Amino acid sequence: MRLIVHNMLTCNVKGVVNKFPLKIVAEKVVKKEVDFNLDFLWHMLAKIEWKALVDGARSLGYSELPDHAEALESNESFLKKFHHALLELHLEEGSLVCKETGRKFPVKKGVPNMLLHEDEV
Amino acid sequence: MKATLAPSSLISLPRQKASSLRSPSLLINSQRPSSALMTTKTASRGSVAVTAAATSSVEALREGIAEFYNETSGLWEEIWGDHMHHGFYDPDSSVQLSDSGHREAQIRMIEESLRFAGVTEEKKIKRVVDVGCGIGGSSRYIASKFGAECIGITLSPVQAKRANDLAAAQSLSQKVSFQVADALEQPFEDGTFDLVWSMESGEHMPDKAKFVKELVRVAAPGGRIIIVTWCHRNLSQGEESLQPWEQNLLDRICKTFYLPAWCSTSDYVDLLQSLSLQDIKCADWSENVAPFWPAVIRTALTWKGLVSLLRSGMKSIKGALTMPLMIEGYKKGVIKFGIITCQKPL
Repeated sequence: MRLIVHNMLTCNVKGVVNKFPLKIVAEKVVKKEVDFNLDFLWHMLAKIEWKALVDGARSLGYSELPDHAEALESNESFLKKFHHALLELHLEEGSLVCKETGRKFPVKKGVPNMLLHEDEV
Repeated sequence: MKATLAPSSLISLPRQKASSLRSPSLLINSQRPSSALMTTKTASRGSVAVTAAATSSVEALREGIAEFYNETSGLWEEIWGDHMHHGFYDPDSSVQLSDSGHREAQIRMIEESLRFAGVTEEKKIKRVVDVGCGIGGSSRYIASKFGAECIGITLSPVQAKRANDLAAAQSLSQKVSFQVADALEQPFEDGTFDLVWSMESGEHMPDKAKFVKELVRVAAPGGRIIIVTWCHRNLSQGEESLQPWEQNLLDRICKTFYLPAWCSTSDYVDLLQSLSLQDIKCADWSENVAPFWPAVIRTALTWKGLVSLLRSGMKSIKGALTMPLMIEGYKKGVIKFGIITCQKPL
């Protein structure tokens, strides 16, 4: 699971208010290189919840992201960090934890399992 | 939907007279997709408090679907390719599954669906959800076509992993990703997606009203929803339900493929209307997919096909043996292949 996906996932347990973002508990993180695509990054920058990305990256062992997003044009080094954090860090094994309930959603072989139990619906 | 039934109270939609309305869990029971439902059968007829039974039968169905696709996905991929949906053909054309023709037809199905819904490059599709994504064929195709980010959800961990691996192999990892999640409880904020895509997955949803509500919830204002699905024929004026022989045919198919009760294309249209969606359109594409099943059967009966089937296990074998029922259902006008599309208001 990459952070671009983590940035969209919510805890969908019934009644939960603080459902985004999910805290990441990482057990195995893998780095996979991905081609740089400025256009795609530009669109994503507008949609990304920045704090969630920074915290998520830290949980995956990457602390280079600035606390605030910068204007894309200005800074090549910022771009590279954004690209790396968003697309190249993979959580292979671990869990996503709801901040309100502590409910853990497992991540196995890179795939998050967001299925709810019947009493959570 | 008829005014007497609020959409949110429906679990399954074959229409019933109010006086003989069976409990929701019994409507699921009549399909009996899993042995877990057998225990609730005698207890729940006529009884009112069946919510617990209904909920656990839904969970049993969900597990059944996940197991079914965990077990059969490899075989389907071998026969159908990475698009686990039907091809779109000109009616009465003859299909050889060994041709590249069937893959072209599967891609044509995606293109015809997008076209029917009025989804073009100009619509600036940036975020797509593929609900019931299989091994991600649609997601990868749509991501490539529009340069969009696609998230796919499936109940099967085997399929999600395979979908991610195929994306990586096609250098699409940054654009598409796949999760295990429930289409009826999607882990996304409201209004996230410009395009909500459900290609041949609606059949598995036990609560059509809830399914449609979730599709609408996660669609962005101005976003499009595309549902391509197997339905039963529309009921005629004054008809309360399908004929018993028709229901019996569907029951036999449901049992094998882990399908809950069927509804009609009109039922989907009614649901969307009740949720104030705009530009609702539907079409009957049964004639355009009919050539596919005999071709699948012919492939299954080849030496290679038989060996693959035997290797894949009982669920696959049962699946193959049930295909003639699909053909029968289509020929007798019970089973329809429909598309329903709409736009969420701004």
